Amino acid sequence: MGKDNSSTAILLQAVAREGEKLQASERRNFLKQGLLLAGGALSGAAVPGTALAGDNNLPPNVPPWTKSLGSGVLTNPYGKPSPYESHIVRRNVPWLTADNIASISFTPLAELSGIITPSSLVFERYHAGVPAIDPAQHRLMIHGMVDRPIILSVDDLKRFPSTSMIRFIECPANGGMEWRAAQMDSLQFTHGMLSCCEWTGVLLSTLLQEVGIKKDAAWVLAEGADGSHMSRSIPMDKALDDALIVYAQNGEPLRPEQGYPIRLMNPGWEGNTSVKWLRRLEVGDEAWYHREETSKYTDLLADGRARKFSYVQECNSVVTFPCPEKPLTERGRYEVEGLAWSGEGKIKRVDVSFDGGMNWRPARLKGLVLPKALTRFGLEWDWDGGPAMIQSRAVDDTGYVQPTYTQLREARGSSSIYHKNAIQTWRLHDSGKVTNVQIS
Amino acid sequence: MSRLAKSLSYVGLTVALGLVVEGHAEEAGNFGYGQTATAEQIAGWDIDVRPDGMGLPPGGATPEDGEMLYEEKCASCHGSFGEGVGRYPVLAGGEGTLTEARPEKTVGSFWPYASTLWDYIHRAMPFTVPESLTDEEVYATTAYVLYLNDLIEYDFELTQENLADIEMPNKDGFFFDDRPDVKARRCMKNCKKAGSIQITSEPEVSEDADSGADEVVAVEQPAEGQAVYQQACAVCHAAGIGEAPIPGDTAAWSPRLALGRGTLIESALNGKGIMPAKGGQSQLTDVAVIAAVDHIISLSAKQ
Repeated sequence: MGKDNSSTAILLQAVAREGEKLQASERRNFLKQGLLLAGGALSGAAVPGTALAGDNNLPPNVPPWTKSLGSGVLTNPYGKPSPYESHIVRRNVPWLTADNIASISFTPLAELSGIITPSSLVFERYHAGVPAIDPAQHRLMIHGMVDRPIILSVDDLKRFPSTSMIRFIECPANGGMEWRAAQMDSLQFTHGMLSCCEWTGVLLSTLLQEVGIKKDAAWVLAEGADGSHMSRSIPMDKALDDALIVYAQNGEPLRPEQGYPIRLMNPGWEGNTSVKWLRRLEVGDEAWYHREETSKYTDLLADGRARKFSYVQECNSVVTFPCPEKPLTERGRYEVEGLAWSGEGKIKRVDVSFDGGMNWRPARLKGLVLPKALTRFGLEWDWDGGPAMIQSRAVDDTGYVQPTYTQLREARGSSSIYHKNAIQTWRLHDSGKVTNVQIS
Repeated sequence: MSRLAKSLSYVGLTVALGLVVEGHAEEAGNFGYGQTATAEQIAGWDIDVRPDGMGLPPGGATPEDGEMLYEEKCASCHGSFGEGVGRYPVLAGGEGTLTEARPEKTVGSFWPYASTLWDYIHRAMPFTVPESLTDEEVYATTAYVLYLNDLIEYDFELTQENLADIEMPNKDGFFFDDRPDVKARRCMKNCKKAGSIQITSEPEVSEDADSGADEVVAVEQPAEGQAVYQQACAVCHAAGIGEAPIPGDTAAWSPRLALGRGTLIESALNGKGIMPAKGGQSQLTDVAVIAAVDHIISLSAKQ
């Protein structure tokens, strides 16, 4: 192989030398052909991509990709997943909303590892579609009960001291389809209005210090630059606590779907308050009671009254393996895995039941355990091939214990739509198939 | 108070109060980044209205003024009587249903303040062309929706001065978050009565589908034309909103197809009647819009 390698290197050098004489576009084609040529020289026969489907590439055979060169740098300047993972995408439930402009898509939780959601897979929620914002022409206005109303460009914002935090974001309607009965046979659709990213930006408290807030200031109205002008009233305590004006997620500029160029992030709170495409913050002494905090995002109870400004996403969890998308294939030992999260703080412990909540076993918390972030848990389990009712139950560091559907419905009825954090039951059939059920 | 007056009053407050706030702000302007916002700049963006009427501009209108406007701009989604078309929001009715199994949360049955209606119509409606109504038109449509809910008379003039006084039936129906409202216990052994665990519900399809996942995974990415159609056109064309012809309705489409593909493309790119250019989605390339037109043509041409 040493000989082959050196001859390939010589060939590539020759290709590169020849390439320097060509125009840029020609050079690209030339180099591509040269690489194919080099690949052929190295493997003797196979050129990448020409292996027949069904060829046996398993030991003792050697697959063609081991005997050839792959694509070079900058083949995908921004990178993309393997084509073999093309099923890992956001999906929606077409009948859920009237159109797909004011609609929602779901994160494929069953396919993700660790606690970070790739930016490309963060669930989407729009009320007037994704605006095509030119960041050079975007401004953040801060005014109202302040000493110095200001207008910031995105570059102005980025000059302020920044901070980064890993936090989940969840639509309060996550699982809302399940309030009355089990409806969706899919983890993506029962829990996928949920994502977790590293968010980078400037603390809102820094900006409020900058403008100076007046004595009776108690609320901040956040408003988006999209066609819905999404607006929510944020209490001053939160604004001065951990609210963040975000311009980057997972190390890259915020995605258009997530509010490019800037958004508000209220850690642990219902996602709707984390206004995207943020254009305006108005400081005032009273709440505004806009449509998204009266008609929507209030929790109607059985007695006809509704809870308002119910911001916090309470402690919740779900088993992500097995689940309807990830059935079991054979009896034996498995690591059952899942995600837990709480808008109040850190996950303290998670228990898993295999008999519908009769008996519970403590699970291990895996990797990072951060406040208001997804926390992964795991538990080894021997499947005997029989049916099971798999559940998880999380406890956060306030001592709050995730409730059952029965407990949640006793407190709220089943018309709340929002803030459903009941224990999920996956029914494992003896075939290994997993379905969504609710149990007494 | 007008929006301009509102912002000016803040400027006045600034002068009167100077720097205050214990435990909150330090001295303003530590960094000095950005520019000071002028009253005129603020007035252009400061659109919010509060229950006390703060932020409402001068003006007023009656339901009578709003009737034709509502029919033209709103009824295609919300229905002539506010009954809602398809899955678009129901605006009227639903009184006394909040405790029922299927509550109907409308402006009349659920919304606590009339100001919210004015604010929302002004900031976000009509759906495809937000912020296109004049202040007078917002008063008129607000008045008409209140009238559809039997909250004001047909000739009542809703104004900047009296809007905050409109009493909504469910104004006392809301209370501040008092959670946690559920106190669960961390039991580990024998937590339920033996034999008490019954399945109370499961998805209707679950017995038929293999795992549920197959069905989901089988969803194909639509071709570009179809994707663009879904994104930009379907909002009106799928339901025939505003008399938009529905793809596949060959009777409705044949006279249009007779005009030729070029004419249809031109209409899609530049707008026609109430249809905005590119379906209101200016970020779409011409090529993408043309693909959507071809998608519609393929569905609507007589075989």
